[in-house]
Amino acid sequence: MFAFSTSPRPLASRPPIPQQLKERAKPVLSASSRTIEIDPALRSLLPNGSFQRGTTTTLFGPEGSGATSLGISLMAHASSTGHWCGVVGARDPGVTAMKELGLDVRRVIFVPHPQAGWADAAAELLDGVDILLLCPPRNVPHAAARRLMARAKERRSVLLIRTVTPKQWPIVPELTLSLTSASWQGVGHGDGHLTARRVAVTVHGRRGASRPVEQWLWLPTRQGTVREAG
Amino acid sequence: MERLVALWCPGFSNEGPRGEEVRAFAELLDSVRERCPFVEPVRRGVAVFPARAPSRFFGGEDAVIAMLRDDLGALCENQETALHVGISEGLFSALCAARRDVIIPPGEFLAFLRPLPITTLRRSELAVLCQRLGLHTLGRFADLPYERVLERFGSDGAHCHQVVNGREGELLGIRDPSIHQRLRSLEEAIPPPAQPTFFGGTSFADERATRAALRLQRRFGSASVQVAREAYGHDPNEQAVLVPFGSQGEERVTVAQRMAPWPGRIPSPSPTVVLSAPPPVCLVDKAGTPVWVSVDGLLTGEPERVVLGDKAKTIVAWAGPWPLATRWWEKRRFRARLQVLSDKGEGALLGFEHGQWWLLGRYD
Repeated sequence: MFAFSTSPRPLASRPPIPQQLKERAKPVLSASSRTIEIDPALRSLLPNGSFQRGTTTTLFGPEGSGATSLGISLMAHASSTGHWCGVVGARDPGVTAMKELGLDVRRVIFVPHPQAGWADAAAELLDGVDILLLCPPRNVPHAAARRLMARAKERRSVLLIRTVTPKQWPIVPELTLSLTSASWQGVGHGDGHLTARRVAVTVHGRRGASRPVEQWLWLPTRQGTVREAG
Repeated sequence: MERLVALWCPGFSNEGPRGEEVRAFAELLDSVRERCPFVEPVRRGVAVFPARAPSRFFGGEDAVIAMLRDDLGALCENQETALHVGISEGLFSALCAARRDVIIPPGEFLAFLRPLPITTLRRSELAVLCQRLGLHTLGRFADLPYERVLERFGSDGAHCHQVVNGREGELLGIRDPSIHQRLRSLEEAIPPPAQPTFFGGTSFADERATRAALRLQRRFGSASVQVAREAYGHDPNEQAVLVPFGSQGEERVTVAQRMAPWPGRIPSPSPTVVLSAPPPVCLVDKAGTPVWVSVDGLLTGEPERVVLGDKAKTIVAWAGPWPLATRWWEKRRFRARLQVLSDKGEGALLGFEHGQWWLLGRYD
């Protein structure tokens, strides 16, 4: 028989936390550590209304379709709430347009001419920013794409890729936003000026977005903001 | 003795070749530090902080633990590690509590320690000998007279005896000082740049971004990493400029420049692509004759196509031209802007200068 068989005093079990205290003590942080919020006007585009950290999204559309504007608008809310953004490979970014679309350009790091080192520059920058907008070259090696997506996952950043041809990014990302049509308003034969643009965005992806959904957006509206178009 | 909250993540106890466990542990510490600034790492995967102040602030020790679980749950889930939290007096007892996920009521930690097995001390020689003597628990070991323990087990054994008797809080060897070194090495000890806090930012995100930008500069050259600086002018490419990271502090814009009306400025929205080296383009009408801007600021014909190199686009609508009233006395400096819209819905900004059309920007 063991010498210590006299049972010790039972430990006080942890009392349950009162429900109303639990509700009050729930911090906002727990949700935001997994997601990055976007502009409320664009929430319907993404499956959960926000970016899941560590995921990759491609913005596909020919030049002039508004994919760059959409990328900027998707980053705008995050940058204004203190997240840093990166723009790699956009050779001639229109900084004024970025400001107009609500991006806080003080928290944006540009690498406009990475040339052959674009994948390295993007991988390095994923360490420092929460959202990265990448304009890759025409031919993306499979290995580079896989490495970047893994890097985004590991660093829990959001990778946005602006592509101009359908298969430019060789790996199917979590989400694809395709801009299929764009029509400008406000310009005539010498009169007016470009004021507002209506674009169609097709959302297609894995998990919550496996069925393609088409949506219309004002990108931008007459007031320079972004809004859903009926 | 001070009441301590101990956190234990078994998944971070060992470091893999890529070191992501330590990075995740550093992230965990940062996230705890936002709430409880005095958190300190004990060894890989183990951290501790005083319980008194946070439990008063957040309304009880239970609330602190609930908050920690909410804060760190996602992080630990991502790293596939469990999170154990415990509260007790002294570091040794707090860690034992964390291993069992319990909060020991104040003043009762000795009762908690007494039934624990002697191997908890992680002194194999002492444990073997005590077990042979029939002393299987810390309590039985604690009941031995101090002098006899000192005689038989030396100073280390005596120290263990003090710990299980509640006279000392910390067991020797429980801390791994190398964790501090390792966490510091994550930060890479980069000297702060000359103007790092260009927006007065010193938050963790700002530091992280600054470090990444500096690493990129070292690798790709200092001019390759750029940030925006406000500027003022007629054209989109004059209203903001990109400057190398670290040099953006030099503010050269005067109040007068800021207030200037800039007549002829293109109304917003601005083009999202502003070409730094605008290529020349041809603007032609239906008959194929080039379209120019006349001296009185009007187009000489209705533009039908715009030709850039070997690519031609059909124009369906246009706006302008807007003459820029700068240095109007110089004929060659006569400048105008024109917005054109192609049949595919692409917008572009053209400029007329030196008697030639240039593609200044695209609305993408």
